[in-house]
Amino acid sequence: MICLGKNQQGADLLTGYLAKTLDAARTAELNQHVQECADCRSLIAVWERLDEFAAPEITPGFDARLYARIAADEMRPSWWRRLLWRPVAPLAAAAAVVAVLALFLRVPGTPDASKQASNVEIEQVAQAVDDLDLLIPIGSDR
Amino acid sequence: MEAVVALERDAQLMLRVREGDDTSFALLLERHRGPVVHFLYRMVQNQAVSEELAQEVFLRVYRSRKTYEPTAKFTTWLFRIATHVALNSIRDRKKEKGHESLDEETLDGMERQVAERQQTVEQEMVHEVKVREVRQAIEALPAKQRAAVLMHKYEGLDYGQIAAVLNCSESAIKSLLFRAYESLRGQLAHMA
Ligand SMILES: [Zn+2]
Repeated sequence: MICLGKNQQGADLLTGYLAKTLDAARTAELNQHVQECADCRSLIAVWERLDEFAAPEITPGFDARLYARIAADEMRPSWWRRLLWRPVAPLAAAAAVVAVLALFLRVPGTPDASKQASNVEIEQVAQAVDDLDLLIPIGSDR
Repeated sequence: MEAVVALERDAQLMLRVREGDDTSFALLLERHRGPVVHFLYRMVQNQAVSEELAQEVFLRVYRSRKTYEPTAKFTTWLFRIATHVALNSIRDRKKEKGHESLDEETLDGMERQVAERQQTVEQEMVHEVKVREVRQAIEALPAKQRAAVLMHKYEGLDYGQIAAVLNCSESAIKSLLFRAYESLRGQLAHMA
C-alpha cells in the first residue's frame, strides 16, 4: 500500500478529507484508501485528537473592557494614538522629531501654523508606517 | 451558499459600522468574539494574553471602520488582523524571554496544581496529560504552520482564506498544512 500522502496531489486530498471539504465521490475514494492504509488512519486519529484541545470560556466583562478601551482610544487625537501604537512608536516618534525640527528651522515666525502643519505631517507619516506595518507579509518565516 | 450569505451579512454590518452604527459593531463582536479569542488562545496558550490580544484585534477593526472596503471576506480580514497581532506577540515574547514558550512558569505551575488536585482521579489525570501533549505538539509547530492548522482545524477557514491571511498561494498552504499534520502525527501518533 503506497500512501496517498507521499505525493503532493494525494496530500492535498488528505487535508481536504480531514476537513471534510471533498465531494462525495472523492470522499468515497479516500474512505477506501484509509481502510487499507495505516499511515492515513494514524493521521486521522491525530486530527481527531486535536479536538481535545478545548479553549476556555471567555471571561465575563470582555465586552465591557473592550468598549472602555475603544472609548479611551476615541478620546485621543488620532496622531497621538498612532504614536502610541506600539510597533510603530519608535519610527513614528523619530519621524515626529524630524518633522517638528524641520518646521522649527523653516518657519520660526508662525507657531500656530507650524504646529498644525506638523500634526498633519506626523499623521501622514504615522499612517504610512501603520499601513506598512499591516503590509509586512505576516506569513514570513517566524 | 451559507458562506456567501455570511459574507454579505458581515460585510453589510461592517459597512454600517463605517456609517457610524455601533449596534452593528456589537453584532459583529457577538458573531466573531468566540472564534477570535479561541484562535488566539490556541496560538499563545494563555487565556489572559489571548483576551488582551483579541481586544487589540477588535479595537483595530473599529479603528479601521472609516476606511473599510469589503474587498475580501470579512472573516479573512479579521483573521489577518488576528494572525498579525498573534505573530507580533509571539515574536515579542520570544525576544523578551529568549525562547518561544509563553508563560511556561505560569502554565507549568497551574498544571502542577491541577495535577496535584487530581492525583486520586486517575482518569482525569490521563485526560490532562493527553490534552497537554496536544497543546505542546501544537506549540512546537512553527508559528505560521500553527496559525494555518488552527484556522483549518478549529475555525473552518478554507484554503483560499488561509492563503490570503498568510500571504501565500493556495498550493503553498496545502503543503504547509500537510507538513504540519505530519509533524503533529510524529509527536502524537504513539498514543492516538
Ligand atoms: Zn494513506
